[in-house]
Amino acid sequence: MVSDWDPVLKDVISEVIETMFFSVVEFQDCGRGDRSFDYESEIELQNHEGRMVISLQLSEEFARMITAGFLGIEEDQVKDEDLLDSIKELVNMVGGGYHARISDVGRQLGIPGVWRIGPNRTHRAQAAVRLDFSFFEEPAGSAVLSYLSG
Amino acid sequence: MSCNVLVVEDSRSMRKVIWKILRLLGFELGECLEASNGQEALDILESKSIDLILSDVNMPVMDGIGFIRSLREKNICRDTPVVFITTEANEDRLNQLMDLGARGYIRKPFRPEEMGAFLSRIMGETDGFRLGPGVEGCDF
Repeated sequence: MVSDWDPVLKDVISEVIETMFFSVVEFQDCGRGDRSFDYESEIELQNHEGRMVISLQLSEEFARMITAGFLGIEEDQVKDEDLLDSIKELVNMVGGGYHARISDVGRQLGIPGVWRIGPNRTHRAQAAVRLDFSFFEEPAGSAVLSYLSG
Repeated sequence: MSCNVLVVEDSRSMRKVIWKILRLLGFELGECLEASNGQEALDILESKSIDLILSDVNMPVMDGIGFIRSLREKNICRDTPVVFITTEANEDRLNQLMDLGARGYIRKPFRPEEMGAFLSRIMGETDGFRLGPGVEGCDF
């Protein structure tokens, strides 16, 4: 599925993280589906044919670090509610940026969601393409692009 | 003279970021008011005098389009600039905002200096909206 990966989404993620979260990520060439992270935020782009879902899964460390950068505070000042809200805003910006670049006027951006990944939470993706990214060689998260019909 | 600003945004973090950027840019802020959706903003505007409204578009309860439409229908804040800060990319929806009287929109992600230059242009260099040093000359 790596060949199906959309490079546009990679560019958008990099731009958003650099511009508003003051951090950088490096993408791996292929995703590893077995990696589990701590938080997931998700947004849908829907049209009459179905829903495109962009999901970002992040490690606790990376999520806390970029939240601190976003809010302009120290990492130890980051509250859990700020962390959840900030990574929800992250996927919101990624979804909007992706929508702008694919120029698909028929799609509408949904309201983003966020949650802590736990044993009861499974991803809804039917045909997911996944790409891992790292921060200075430490696994930081994954981006998952999936399509849901109907 | 300071300016009263209303930020309408469902993300608490994004509201914090907007205030921080406005202060960093040297905006002379008076009352700093917040709403998490368009309906809350309308409630605030019933009793407050506002000089600038910065609003998101995609929000629960009442979105940005519903909000600015209500402003116009109720003839509230007719002369107050409304600027949208949004991830919205749908040109039809953005044009709808402009048709309803929005003074402009800033697409997220944005750099603070881009926001400063944009707001400076929107507001003009009135007494209430002097920008701090280092912002002039930035293009948006």
